[in-house]
Amino acid sequence: MSHPSATEFDRVARVRRPLGGLLALLVVVWAWFVVSAPVDATQGVIQKILYVHPPLAYGAYLGFVITAVGGALYLWKQRAIYDQLAVAGAEVGVVFCTLMMVTGPIWAKGTWGHWWTWDPRLTLTLLLWFVYLAYLLLRSFTEGSERTARFAAIYGVAGTALIPLNYFVIEIAGGRSVHPENLERGSLGAGMGLPFLFANLAAFLAFVWLVALRWEVEARRARIAERAA
Amino acid sequence: MSYAIAAYAITVGTLALYAWMLARERKRLERGGD
Repeated sequence: MSHPSATEFDRVARVRRPLGGLLALLVVVWAWFVVSAPVDATQGVIQKILYVHPPLAYGAYLGFVITAVGGALYLWKQRAIYDQLAVAGAEVGVVFCTLMMVTGPIWAKGTWGHWWTWDPRLTLTLLLWFVYLAYLLLRSFTEGSERTARFAAIYGVAGTALIPLNYFVIEIAGGRSVHPENLERGSLGAGMGLPFLFANLAAFLAFVWLVALRWEVEARRARIAERAA
Repeated sequence: MSYAIAAYAITVGTLALYAWMLARERKRLERGGD
């Protein structure tokens, strides 16, 4: 399998480094938006978790979509870099999904009075987390095998079926879900749009930066392993 | 405010820790993985 050259790594690093500086600044502004955003009339201050929890969910979805795209490209082109991209997407996606499942219960405790309930959205999110955790375990136990990469690619593509199901489960469940409905245009209160947009931008940039770094780590590991073999 | 700040701090703190671990691993691999 072919691996990226040192020049290709340098090219990625040239983009990643200034993005890291911008990200450090955005994280501070993100905190300022969380503090200064208007207080919701119904839920009160706790509703400000809105500027953290949904952006993490979008990052998790995106990570798992990258795993599927990387896997599909690997099956098609047979290039190791696509398989490495799939691993990077899954790991960063699992980190975002884990944080989503930590921040969600904090919000739930403050509004519903309990940390967890077997609501359809929460249950499917837990399942989604398990599916990609299993993907990462599979990869860590069977490193470097082309057969595993092919199996993981198919698994990663199939796993994305859970994403639309997870997103639309509130509509599918009708009135049985206690989780708030998906955000739509105009569903945010006055003055909440800009902080929410900014929070998503900061989380998205953090996501891109982490995937690029994780991808490079995976590619370097594979190159060293190939040289040692 | 404490719940929202806790959620933000956990998120940013975890992501920063993860980024630091990745950067350290990248440096180690750059040196040849020793």
